[in-house]
Amino acid sequence: MGTLTRARRGSGKAGRGDDGAPWSHRHLLQLRGMSRAELRRILSKARRYEAQLSGARGLDAVNSELRGRVVANLFFEDSTRTRSSFSVAARRLGAEVIDLTSVGSSVSKGETVSDTALNIAAMGVDAMVIRHRSSGACHLVVRTLEGRRRDGGAEVAGDLSASRACSIVNAGDGRHEHPTQGLLDIYTLAHRFGRLEDFDLRGLTVAIIGDVASSRVARSDIAGMSALGARVVCVGPPGLVPEGLRSLGCDVSHDLDAVIGRVDALNVLRIQFERHEVKGSSGGENRPAASSSTAIASIREYSELYGINARRAARMRRNAIVMHPGPINRGVELTADVADSQRSMVLAQVSHGVAVRMAVLSLCVGATGRAGA
Amino acid sequence: MSKVLIVGGKVVDPVAGTQHAADVAIDGGKVAAIGKRLARPAAARVIDAEGCLVTPGLIDPHVHLREPGNERAETIASGTAAAVEGGFTSVCCMPNTSPALDNDSMIQFVLTRAEKSGACRVFPVGAVSKGRRGEELAEIGLMARAGAVGFSDDGDCVASAGLMARALAAVKATGAALMQHCQEPTMTRSAVMHAGEVSTRLELGGWPRAAEELIIERDARLNRSIGCRYHVQHISSGESVEIVRRARAQGQPITAEATPHHLLLTHETIETSGYDTHYKMNPPLREKSDIAAIKKGIADGTIGVLGTDHAPHTAESKEVPFDSATFGIIGLETALALYARALVHDGVIDWPRLVALMTIEPARLCGLDAMGLGMLEVGGPADVTVIDPKAEWTIKPANLVGHSKNTPFIGWKVKGRAVATIVAGKVRMIRR
Repeated sequence: MGTLTRARRGSGKAGRGDDGAPWSHRHLLQLRGMSRAELRRILSKARRYEAQLSGARGLDAVNSELRGRVVANLFFEDSTRTRSSFSVAARRLGAEVIDLTSVGSSVSKGETVSDTALNIAAMGVDAMVIRHRSSGACHLVVRTLEGRRRDGGAEVAGDLSASRACSIVNAGDGRHEHPTQGLLDIYTLAHRFGRLEDFDLRGLTVAIIGDVASSRVARSDIAGMSALGARVVCVGPPGLVPEGLRSLGCDVSHDLDAVIGRVDALNVLRIQFERHEVKGSSGGENRPAASSSTAIASIREYSELYGINARRAARMRRNAIVMHPGPINRGVELTADVADSQRSMVLAQVSHGVAVRMAVLSLCVGATGRAGA
Repeated sequence: MSKVLIVGGKVVDPVAGTQHAADVAIDGGKVAAIGKRLARPAAARVIDAEGCLVTPGLIDPHVHLREPGNERAETIASGTAAAVEGGFTSVCCMPNTSPALDNDSMIQFVLTRAEKSGACRVFPVGAVSKGRRGEELAEIGLMARAGAVGFSDDGDCVASAGLMARALAAVKATGAALMQHCQEPTMTRSAVMHAGEVSTRLELGGWPRAAEELIIERDARLNRSIGCRYHVQHISSGESVEIVRRARAQGQPITAEATPHHLLLTHETIETSGYDTHYKMNPPLREKSDIAAIKKGIADGTIGVLGTDHAPHTAESKEVPFDSATFGIIGLETALALYARALVHDGVIDWPRLVALMTIEPARLCGLDAMGLGMLEVGGPADVTVIDPKAEWTIKPANLVGHSKNTPFIGWKVKGRAVATIVAGKVRMIRR
């Protein structure tokens, strides 16, 4: 299965946008493997939406691109920002949104992610935005849906026949990827450094600080930013930033103070204690408190060596920015004074997120529409 | 008991490493005669083995039959049906059932069930520790007396060095082999695939090679003063092969086993398939260099036994996200053709050697040679497999006769197939 799964063959020209570049992907699963052209395609579409949203007639400019379409949010893990952002994006495009915030209840009744997704797809929705605790969960859903369409189309008439293709958009799968967050981080970088014309990030260096091992945001950032020419360096203690990350095409450093003065942007990550192995346990099922994580010795040591505070921020380049995917643990990875400073792009990231998600939904669902015709 | 005459084939003698054209006559569950142009007794069933190899019945030293406890995945009846479909006349079943095979009455249960419902011979392997918990020794002596042919906590490693030292001494006293699932557990807590570039990209928990190598090194050292027969199950790391080679060169009684999937698939399949859980195994699929090292180990005799690690799982337990899916794939129906592809067609070994690795060598490991299994001798038990090395076929779900179909090899075009399986003189499977 590719990065973005191609729409079914024979689907003809799918969603051709103003750039002229054809778009033929029904799903967005990951940024790794995407070409520069494909990334630019999404980002430049996002730029037009952003101009609409921030324009004088922002709120009046209701788009009707996806009128009559239904987008379902399936969040098997908690989310505030991402879920609301997808909802706003879908509504801005004129789509209806079903918010399945309680899908957890199906899970607790023993339903599998595939079954839940098949059921929602059978209702005829056009896109499912899925977040799940397991890496590869969206790939599984795509494989199940496509398999069902292939084998079962004829015998299960009317349920998932070829006319009802459903897009899957990954809103975070385990520790693997969070592609729309990666796209909005890139957008924010490009916005700040005047690269909105071509999204060429050459010459920029981005440091991703903290719990890279647990971070799906980091994996999408590394893939997308490097594809567009930025240099990425991951910084943190060896337990959170293992050497093996180099195989993703980034640098690795355990010395923040050596790096901080030489980068254009910091993307500061939260330590995801809930994804860490607990001391003395045999699995990652229980949610550990900070004191029981095996990945770092203590929060005290972590903050001292890798926390971003005013003293460190003062050593950054004059124009350098601080990003954070949220939620922030103030005082752990980022102190309040930096989080609220001029460098902080946190709120800009959130507003760019809506434009980016509009672009993704428009392109993927657009591809679906033509595919099934 | 009916009479069977197998005519026109080439009889493989894995003990001598030779093959010669001969007929095989079977009578009363025993091999009655081996020779050219044997007379056809009245009422004998004749099997035409023209172009085929006639070999001792294949023996699989490593299967999971799931009974008792998970009969929906497999039973002794369905697993042995899969065995004879693939040419196996004997299987050694691992004790990770529910409850575990950790006392003599559990061993007797399996033997009784096999007697009643088994299509082939079943030899249970007893647990090393009570409940396979790795804390205290199971009743190894009583299990050996009840018929256990080896000891293993397979599925889990005997991780405690103290327990392992006691276990090696206890198993040595029975004459059996201790079969170790080599996996240092503190290094592999959330591991679901090989630790490498692919696990970094997919962000799945990595299972480093060192977790296997450390246990083999440690056990070889522990065993130096004890001298128990020690067997490395399903070897996966190239460096592990070298550790076994060195220990054997020092005269240690250590053997090792390969599986088809660790010879044919790499960790990259998990990425190219989009997290397909049929590529989730324990130990995990590793890299090309490991495959090359395992093949070299098979060629030079370091690895002397081939198994399947037949691990049936229900479809439900595989149709879930990768980290939650069960480990393992089935192997009994497909192993012979896959080994032919990985080893014979690639020129690593020839057919007689492949047959030895699937007959006399596992027989020796499990002490079955003392019963005359793993060889073909006049007067010995009539466990015979007829193999057509030229038969071309495609692996399809319809070829899988066990309860579970969890294999990534569906759709593979392969060459070489068992065409008849005879267990104790009874024709249990025939395709011609």
